[in-house]
Amino acid sequence: MVRSFRKERLVWIDLMITLLVLELMSYFYYGARSLVLAGVCVCFSAAAEIICLRLMKRKFTADDLTCTSDALVIALMMSPVIDFRIAAIASVFAVIAAKNVFGGRRNMIFSPAAAAYVFVLTSWGRKLLLYPEPHTKTGIFSDPDGLVSSASYVYNTTGKVDHTDFELLLGNFSGPAGAVSILLLIVAAVMLIFRRNISAGAFLGSVLGTALFAAVTPVAGTRSESVKYNLMMNMVLFASIYIVADRRIAPRREYFAFFYGLFIGVFSYILVLTKALENAIVIVSVLFTPAALAFKNLEKKIDTADAAPIPAETQEPPVQEETVPDKQEISDEDVVNKMIEELSESNDAPEEGEDNNDE
Amino acid sequence: MMNNRKTSVFDGILGDNMVLSSLMVISPVIICGDTLKNAEALSYAFSSITILSMLIGSFVPKKLPYTVKIIFYALISSLVFIPVKVATHEFYRGAIDRIGIYFPLLAVNSLIVLQSEAKFFRMPRTKMFFSLLFYVVGFDIVMLLTGFIRELFAYGTINGRVADVDMPVFGLSQPFGGFIFLGLMCGAYRWIRKLLTREKKEIRSVDNVSDK
Repeated sequence: MVRSFRKERLVWIDLMITLLVLELMSYFYYGARSLVLAGVCVCFSAAAEIICLRLMKRKFTADDLTCTSDALVIALMMSPVIDFRIAAIASVFAVIAAKNVFGGRRNMIFSPAAAAYVFVLTSWGRKLLLYPEPHTKTGIFSDPDGLVSSASYVYNTTGKVDHTDFELLLGNFSGPAGAVSILLLIVAAVMLIFRRNISAGAFLGSVLGTALFAAVTPVAGTRSESVKYNLMMNMVLFASIYIVADRRIAPRREYFAFFYGLFIGVFSYILVLTKALENAIVIVSVLFTPAALAFKNLEKKIDTADAAPIPAETQEPPVQEETVPDKQEISDEDVVNKMIEELSESNDAPEEGEDNNDE
Repeated sequence: MMNNRKTSVFDGILGDNMVLSSLMVISPVIICGDTLKNAEALSYAFSSITILSMLIGSFVPKKLPYTVKIIFYALISSLVFIPVKVATHEFYRGAIDRIGIYFPLLAVNSLIVLQSEAKFFRMPRTKMFFSLLFYVVGFDIVMLLTGFIRELFAYGTINGRVADVDMPVFGLSQPFGGFIFLGLMCGAYRWIRKLLTREKKEIRSVDNVSDK
């Protein structure tokens, strides 16, 4: 138990390091406003978490700081010039409605950041999906002007990308503050996978699902271009790392996690292809919550089945050894065998009785 | 007698609210309870159909088999539905179109179909009437409150009139917003109920001590 607590804190630190690097890049492109936005999200998120924990009569521990990493994810998914009130509402919504209503960080169903993003998308979609051009510094309290649609929107609707690969890698195109720095995201993904902070299966499944379908049915251009742009646009990389591969949500076993990620990748690509839906992967990851829960239930059943004692009949005959086993081993085996015999006898007994009665 | 929660006729409002406690008839609240006008129309229709159907249904002979009685109740509520629909069309124009399928579904709501036999028809008729009345009032309060708050925050209006709301949260008007809002209301309701129960227990314990 103590080990899992420590692990959670270490995961949080690693996630925060990668998120802060992305935030730094966002500051480079959009100025101090993006930092203030992140600060607003973190403060409101922490305040909401403290209040919720107080109401639930729990203590705020270092593990509860995960709410701040969720807040940073929310800030990085938004337009850097979005209204601060919207960011605050999103952060509070993530903590209260998507997390603590379901029992807190130990019983999470949704990724709080993804749920908050979907909530903001349905409430203030227009404000959320308009972005400033890179290197446009907006004052902290001034109204933004000259907002444009994201490069993802342009790609989804026209199939064209007017940026070089170098610009795309560095994130020099309009889009969510943190989800455009592709190179940094690749580095973050590698680091987090090797440190086992995110589910490698879910991440690979999501990326491979998108890439596979992008190659099979390209949105526009050649297959290789389709794969490249579909992985870079629509927050696919960002969401695959911080939402789909979130260890709190994704199935524990990598095998199941891979298929969970694969389904999300495939369905989000289908939505992009058919509806030109921007950032569909975030919506699909929320909709696929039941799949994650089903996989987790399956894992529990498998664990229970593995832990259950094997019936005596199906047990392999023990290998007879010439040497005499230890005293402790004899006693354990004897106890288990005795219990199995007793169980089988007790199971057989009523049937015999019934037979007798019938006779 | 009234203090006993199991037999109190006021249970329908706070002690055992049919929406917030038993989660009955939640679909119209979630789907259609996004404006006050819809809420008013639904409250009116639900109240009329439920009270009239249950009162008429209470005269169905109790000796009949359970299945037959349920069929009778459904038939009675379907018949009551016809004049109620005509009246709703007159009083709340356009409401039936907005509410859609959830309007006719009120005729076979779980209070009529399930709770009638399980609860209400086991009471004396006068008590049943008052108990039913408070259950219906409990539903109406929740419905109107939901409609009012969701309309105010989702559209920035109150009963169709523009209110001074800077930043409407359109997501609240959506079904998922309704679910979340109802969930939060359920939580608040349970918290209030717990507080009241605790207060009652404390008063009782003080009375016991003073008696001794």
